[in-house]
Amino acid sequence: MPDIEPFSPRGMFHEGWTAEVNDYAIACGWALKGKQFIVGDVAGGLFSFEGDTGKIIWKKENIHSGGLLAMAIHPEGEIFATSGQDGNVQICNCHEGKVIKTLDLGKGWVEHLKWSNDGLFLAIASSKKVYVFNEIGEEKWISEDHPSTVSAITWSNKNELATACYGRVTFFDIVNNKTNQKLEWQGSLVSMELSPDGDIVACGSQDNSVHFWRRSTGMDAEMTGYPGKPSHLSFDDSGKLLATSGSERITVWSFIGNGPEGTMPGELCHHTEPISSLAFSNKGMLVASGSRDGSVVASFLKKDGNGDPVGAAFAGDLVGAISWRPDDCALAAVNAKGVVNVWKFKVRTNLFSKGFK
Amino acid sequence: MSIQDKVPVTILTGFLGSGKTTLLNRILSEEHGKRIAVIENEYGEVGIDQGLVINADEEVFEMSNGCICCTVRGDLIRVLGNLMKRRDKFDYVLVETTGLADPGPVAQTFFMDEEISSEFTLDGIVTLVDAAHIDQQLGRSDESSEQVAFADVLVLNKTDLVSDDALDTLESRLRDMNRMTRIIRAENAKVPIETVLNLSAFDLDQILKRRPTFLEPEYPFEWTGVYDLDAGKYELMLEEGPDPEMSLVALANQGESEEELKDGAESSVRLYAEKANSLVPGNTIPYGEHINLKLDDKGNKSFILNIEKPTKIGLFTQHTAEEFNMKVIKSDENKEIPFNTERFWQVEHEHDDEVGSIAIERFGDVDPEKLNTWMGRLLSEKGVDIFRTKGFISYSGNPRRIVFQGVHMLFTAQPDKEWGNEPRRNQLVFIGRNLNEKEMQEGFDKCLI
Repeated sequence: MPDIEPFSPRGMFHEGWTAEVNDYAIACGWALKGKQFIVGDVAGGLFSFEGDTGKIIWKKENIHSGGLLAMAIHPEGEIFATSGQDGNVQICNCHEGKVIKTLDLGKGWVEHLKWSNDGLFLAIASSKKVYVFNEIGEEKWISEDHPSTVSAITWSNKNELATACYGRVTFFDIVNNKTNQKLEWQGSLVSMELSPDGDIVACGSQDNSVHFWRRSTGMDAEMTGYPGKPSHLSFDDSGKLLATSGSERITVWSFIGNGPEGTMPGELCHHTEPISSLAFSNKGMLVASGSRDGSVVASFLKKDGNGDPVGAAFAGDLVGAISWRPDDCALAAVNAKGVVNVWKFKVRTNLFSKGFK
Repeated sequence: MSIQDKVPVTILTGFLGSGKTTLLNRILSEEHGKRIAVIENEYGEVGIDQGLVINADEEVFEMSNGCICCTVRGDLIRVLGNLMKRRDKFDYVLVETTGLADPGPVAQTFFMDEEISSEFTLDGIVTLVDAAHIDQQLGRSDESSEQVAFADVLVLNKTDLVSDDALDTLESRLRDMNRMTRIIRAENAKVPIETVLNLSAFDLDQILKRRPTFLEPEYPFEWTGVYDLDAGKYELMLEEGPDPEMSLVALANQGESEEELKDGAESSVRLYAEKANSLVPGNTIPYGEHINLKLDDKGNKSFILNIEKPTKIGLFTQHTAEEFNMKVIKSDENKEIPFNTERFWQVEHEHDDEVGSIAIERFGDVDPEKLNTWMGRLLSEKGVDIFRTKGFISYSGNPRRIVFQGVHMLFTAQPDKEWGNEPRRNQLVFIGRNLNEKEMQEGFDKCLI
């Protein structure tokens, strides 16, 4: 249990709704343009709530024997995919939760799922292989074995997929079955994020550093000095700010001008325990962070990466995942006890905020 | 999170064919009230339904700094990272490695990764060895000697295939390589479950309770007797024993407290390093000298001890008094004078293997800064060859003893219980490859105040 005192939502966070799922909640996301909120728990339970009220719409249990590992909602918000320890991926419909297709990928854990931005492809990582399927579950591409288990995947553009594993990031043209680029660096890459234009590749590494590359120039840099491994990375929608965290602090690198090389990053210190989830708002320079101590904070950032908190709320226990509603007017947090919290978030207006107390 | 709340993890290592799978199945099928999650290597074949069994490819990840001490097991981080979200499903974790695995990265994972170390605690490393084949394996591969060196418990398995004499020889070879370990003999991996689980092997008090001498250095002598003698002439009488000769150092003014005995032992160690003077029966034993009693003759043999004024004499003998039925007799009264105090010592062995243990024991306090500098340098120069470090230290000015734990270059120093009335002292054991005992002891001595 966290050792901070519970507190009511503050600043721009306001009471919304709460609900419960059966087990440790590890994944969540908004569907149907924010009308629905879907939560997955570690035991393989799936729960769909009305976005405004928290009223349960449907629920399912044990969708993956051995447990759930990942969930990804399609960008259009009509379907979503889940994966688990059973080596399966399920593509389901958001309205009723009905399974459209089950993909059996063998016995390895299926740990990562990512829809391409246009929603035409679903990328899936299981052990050393990466698979691409289309929306209706037809196989489109399979990678060769990577040198080690794939630790992160993300789309750099509509046909190009980036994969991270021990020692390298690889870019695959999955339509023409080509390897476009390999970025090598000896280190165990534990997380990966790409700037929205796909040029900057940022990876958190087991040795407590963030390594990044600019694909256009081939330049790379290493940001060291993190107290823990930076498992959490998030780019803002402009691709100018990269928030990173491997401890209770958030370090924000600014790519404006010649940065971030040789510049001082912004630092946000609002939590008492390490960050367990981190996400920029869909638009603008708001970053939300959830911590093992159960606190959730939204900070408004300046161009240099520094910023101030504009709202905070208490999720009750270790924050398993957070998700901004597509209009950024609500933030959801799910926790290790299976509690779901959705707070309304009053978007900053021209009026001066009363600030954070 | 306190250590009691963390999930204990046992690492099971051993060469192919040593009986890991048999032991694993035995642990899983026995009634012990634990819910065990098993992380099995890719070749594992636990055929058991109960429990949570997860297969993982062994992925050894080196860091960009190239330091082997920072090397971790990526698969364990992933699997344990997921398991910790299912805490309600299990209360113990067993990690089985392949026969070729280096135990270092496995153990280091529990020190190096903050997320893992905040939820799990390394309970112990159990290594199985095949009694019939380990002798050859030790000669052939570094992995097998490393698995022995890292072990908190060594299960000497398949003892039914080997003679008792061979087992004794083997056990003493393994003991030389790793003095911290507890050796258990077994047939068909049949060992009591409590000898492999919940060892708290990283808890020194537990180990000392079980094996009080494990942190002690080795001495060239096995026994000390302290005799309270008035002035006069005495005879040291020996019967036939296991050896035709025996080394001895006699010290005058020998105290009887543990501290005084250790001081005497330290002086004797230095004297033992000098060449021994041989004495034949009837000769007088000098004080403060390394001598060698010649015992070839049949029957009782006597050597003379002259005492000028009342004193306590300490005899530091290569073998125990019992082995030669050794007695001190006052000549004029023909009366046996029993010893006031006796003390047995760990005896040193010949070390044939590259992998071995070194123990350092010193009374007194150390200067924390000097110790840190010395340890830091030692581990950065020799960290690759030092597999495990355990022990405790007396920091000057600190009322608590400081417990040391290390795997390769990583070590933790934590305040433990208060010294109270116990004499303040330092005990450290290093297990590693080609360690220079003398150099390390001298290095440590420089840290003493």
